[in-house]
Amino acid sequence: MVNTEIIQRSPIRNLEKSIHGGLGKGNIGVLASRKGVGKTACLVHIATDKLLQGKPVIHVSYASRVDYIITWYEEILKELSKKKGMKAAAEFHDDIIKNRVIMNFNQDGARTEQVLRSLEAMIIHGNFAADTIIVDGFDFAQGTPEDIRKFKEFAARLGLEVWFSATLKGEDPLFDGQGVAFMLGNFMGTIDVLISLRHEGEIVRLDLVKAHDKPATGKLRLRLDPKTLLIAKAVRRKQGRPGPSPRS
Amino acid sequence: MKTDIAKMRNIGISAHIDSGKTTLTERILFYCKKIHKIHEVKGKDGVGATMDSMDLERERGITITSATTNVQWADHSINIIDTPGHVDFTIEVERSLRVLDGAVLVLCSVGGVQSQTITVDRQLKRYRVPRIAFINKLDRTGANPYKVKDQLVEKLGHNAVLMQIPIGLESDLQGIVDLAGMKAYYFDGPDGEIIREEEIPSGLREEARGKREEMLDAVSMYSDDLMTAVLEDRATEDLIHKAVRKGTISRELTPVFMGSAYKNKGIQLLLDGVVRYLPDPSDVENIALDLENEGREIKLKADPSAPTVALAFKLEDGPYGQLTYIRIYQGRIQKGDELFNNRSRQRFKVGRLIRMHADSMEDIREAECGDIVALFGIECASGDTFVTPGLNLTMTSIYVPEPVISLAINPVDNASADRMAKALIRFTKEDPTFRSHVDLESNETIVQGMGELHLDVYIERMKREYQAEVLTGKPQVAYREAISRKVDFDYTHKKQTGGAGQFARVSGSIEPLAKGNYEFVNNVKGGRIPREFIPACDKGFQSGLKKGQLIGFPVIGIRVTLDDGQYHPVDSSDIAFQTAAQGAFRQAYAKSKPQILEPIMKVSVEGPTEFAGHVFGSINQRRGVIVSSVENGTFSRVDAEVPLSEMFGYSTMLRSLTQGKAEFTMEFMKYGKVPGHVAEALMAEHQEKRKIDASK
Repeated sequence: MVNTEIIQRSPIRNLEKSIHGGLGKGNIGVLASRKGVGKTACLVHIATDKLLQGKPVIHVSYASRVDYIITWYEEILKELSKKKGMKAAAEFHDDIIKNRVIMNFNQDGARTEQVLRSLEAMIIHGNFAADTIIVDGFDFAQGTPEDIRKFKEFAARLGLEVWFSATLKGEDPLFDGQGVAFMLGNFMGTIDVLISLRHEGEIVRLDLVKAHDKPATGKLRLRLDPKTLLIAKAVRRKQGRPGPSPRS
Repeated sequence: MKTDIAKMRNIGISAHIDSGKTTLTERILFYCKKIHKIHEVKGKDGVGATMDSMDLERERGITITSATTNVQWADHSINIIDTPGHVDFTIEVERSLRVLDGAVLVLCSVGGVQSQTITVDRQLKRYRVPRIAFINKLDRTGANPYKVKDQLVEKLGHNAVLMQIPIGLESDLQGIVDLAGMKAYYFDGPDGEIIREEEIPSGLREEARGKREEMLDAVSMYSDDLMTAVLEDRATEDLIHKAVRKGTISRELTPVFMGSAYKNKGIQLLLDGVVRYLPDPSDVENIALDLENEGREIKLKADPSAPTVALAFKLEDGPYGQLTYIRIYQGRIQKGDELFNNRSRQRFKVGRLIRMHADSMEDIREAECGDIVALFGIECASGDTFVTPGLNLTMTSIYVPEPVISLAINPVDNASADRMAKALIRFTKEDPTFRSHVDLESNETIVQGMGELHLDVYIERMKREYQAEVLTGKPQVAYREAISRKVDFDYTHKKQTGGAGQFARVSGSIEPLAKGNYEFVNNVKGGRIPREFIPACDKGFQSGLKKGQLIGFPVIGIRVTLDDGQYHPVDSSDIAFQTAAQGAFRQAYAKSKPQILEPIMKVSVEGPTEFAGHVFGSINQRRGVIVSSVENGTFSRVDAEVPLSEMFGYSTMLRSLTQGKAEFTMEFMKYGKVPGHVAEALMAEHQEKRKIDASK
C-alpha cells in the first residue's frame, strides 16, 4: 500500500532529514511542550506517516479513554486527505486500522515493566510486528530515567523506534541555555532526539534540541498548522515572491 | 392505589450465579408480606423460589427473561425487575436494564467479585444505573466483607463505602451494626422478622467508630452541609442519608450493605437502603425519539398530566392470553384509555391494567409515570411504544440489526412441528433480532439471530417451554456479495420461435453503492423503453440480487442505472423486460469483480492482565484485528474486530486459555471483504453443494 507520492511529499521527510535520516531503531525521541500546544497531534501525524508506509504502530496512551485517540487519527487522516496529492490517503483507512493498535494504561497502576510486558505480548503473541511505538501521556515528572532506559532497551531488543510526548510543567523559564527543558535534564542521557514545541506569536514552532550525537541544529523549518495541528513546512517570510502577473 | 412518584423505586437485583440472588429476592418478598412462606432454592420442598419462573433458568443458573414483581416497603412501592445475567441476549438485556432506575449488586462474601459480577456491573455501568452493593452469605465459612469491599474498589473501580459492619462472622454471625445511626440490629423470630435495635456491643465500638469515620470521609464529599457538620462533630443521620443518596444517584458512590439472606439477617436494612439511596423515577432522565423530527432526542417529563409515553418491555404467554409488561415514562394510563402503538400504527383500548406480584396479579384502575404495570390482551411486540394518540414519540430506535447467523432446524415429529411453529411465532414477536423462515429450496425451517448462543437459547426454550424437539444443522454465517467496480451492460432478450415472441433490450451500468443495499436509477429518455415496462426492469434486477453468482448469498451495495433500451410494439412485455434485466445483471455482475463479504463482529474480551498475551494470540489466530487494549491495574480489556465465521467455539477456547477468568461480548459491526484464500474455499464449497443438489 505504499503510496510514494503521499510519503515523499510529507513534511515528516524534512524532519527526518534534520535528524540525520530519522529516529532509527532502538532510539528514543521526545516531543516536549506545555500542555495543549499540539504534541498528541504531532505524534499522531508521525504515526499516520508510518501507517501510510505500511509500517505497524502501537500507540500507548496513559489517558483514561481510548475513543478520543481514535478520533485524533480519524481527524488527522481527514486533514491529510484534503491536501493536494493526498486524496488517496483516505482510501487506506482500513489498512491503517489493521496496522494500528492502541494500548491504554492507567499510569497509577501500570509500572513500566508491566507496560513493556504487555507490549511484548502484543508483538509476540498478537503477532503484531510493530515498527514504531508512540507513547503519549507518560508523566516525566513522576517517571525516572530508569523507566526510559527500560523503554530504550526494549526498543533495541525488538528493533523499534519509540516516540514520547513530554508535558512540561512548572513556572517559566522552562528551558536552559541549550534549549533543554529543565524537567528533562536528567533524561538527556537516554533521549536520542529531542524536539520542543513553542508558541511564537500565533504559530507553533518546532525546535530541534538534540539530534542523536550531533549538537542541536536549532530551528526546524517546520511549524504546526494552527488549524489542523498538522506538522507543516514553515512558510518563508516574504521572499519577494511575485504576485500573479496580469494576463495579457 | 396511587403512589407519589418520589415513593416509587424500580430496581433490579444483579449478581454472579450462586451469590444467593434468588434467596435474597425470596426474603424480600417475604418481609414485604408478598409471600407467606419462605421456600429454599434448589427445590428442597419441591416448590422452589418464587421469582425464577423458567425451568431453563433454574437449570442453567441464569436468568433469561425478566419477570417483575411489586412490593411495598416503608410506605414505598418497589418494582423488582429480574435482570438477565448473560451478555449475549442483547435485546433482552437492553430492555430490562432500561426500565431500571437503580440496582442492588449482590456479592458473595466468600467469592467476592466474580467473573459474572464484572459482567453485570459493566452492563449496569453502560446503562448508567446507580447501584448499591449487598455482601451476602456472611454466615459462610471464610466470609470476609472487608475483602469484598476492597475488591469492589480494585476490580470494579467503585467508590465503595461500608454502611454497615457485621456482629460476628461465619457461624457466629449475630447481627449488623449500622454506621449511620450507630446502632446494632438483631433479627429475631423464626424467620428473622422481628428486628431488635440495641447499643453497639462494647467490643465492637472502637471498630465501628473507625469505620464510621471512613464512611463520613467518603460521603461528606457529596454534601457541604455534612462536611461542616462532620467538622463540628454534629453529623446527623438525615444529613448522611441525603449525602449518600446524592453520591449514589450521581453514580459516584456505592454504599455497601451486608447480611445473610439464608440466615434472615440484614434484609430489612437493605430494603431501607433501597428506599433511602436509590433514585425514584423522577431522578432519572429518560429520552424518547421524535419520529416527526428524524428521531431527534426529547427529554420526557415525569409528569402524570403530560401525554402518555410507555414502553412494552416484555411479553409473557399466560393461561389467559398475552401479558404485556410496560413501563410508563410520562403521563398516566387509566383503564379504558385509548392508546396508540407507534410501530403497528394502531389504536387500542386499555382493557385490563394489572400490577404483578410474584405469582399473582391485581387489577388496578390507574397507573402513573414511573410505574411498571402489565396490560392484558394487547396485540403488540416487545419493544413497542404506546402513546397518547397524536403523539409521535418512540422509546426504541427503529433500527434493528440484520441477523448474522442462521441455523436449519427440523422437528423430530409432527407434534413437535406444530409446537415449534407456535414457539417461533412467540419468539420472533419477543425479539426482533430473532427471525425464522422456510427455505424454499431445502424446505427446511431456518432461524436467524445475532450469535451462536442467541440461537442456542431459543432452541433450548423450544424444548423446555413448548416441548418441541428439533434437530439442528450447522450454524451458517450470513455472507453477502458485492461488486467492486462499475460495469456497463447492453443486453437484448429475443425469442421469436413460434407463438408470441419476446423482445426487450436494456442498457446501462451497475456500480458499487457506498450506503444502502440497492438503488435503481431510471435515466431512459424519449420513451426508448415505455414507462410501463420500467418497474419490470427494476424487478428483474432485484431478482438477480437475491442470489449472487459466487456463493449464492444476497448481493448488497449496488446501484443500477438504466440509460437506454429498445422495445417491440408487439413482442415486448413485462416478462420480456424482466428477463432482459436478469440477463443483463448476470452478464455485468460477472465482469464487475464481485467479492464475498462476511459479518465482522466487534469483540470485547475482559479478564485479568496476566492472560492478555493469550487473548492477543487467540484473536490473531482468528483473523482478528486488535483495535485497542485497556489495562487498569490487574484487569484488562481488549477490543477487536473479528470475522463471525471464526468465532464459533470461542467461548470454550477462551475459558480454557484463561482458566475461566476472562469473558467476551460480541456484536455485529459491519460487512467486510473476505480474504482471497477464504473466498476460494467458500466458492469451492458452493460448487460442491450445487453439484450434489443437481445430482439429486
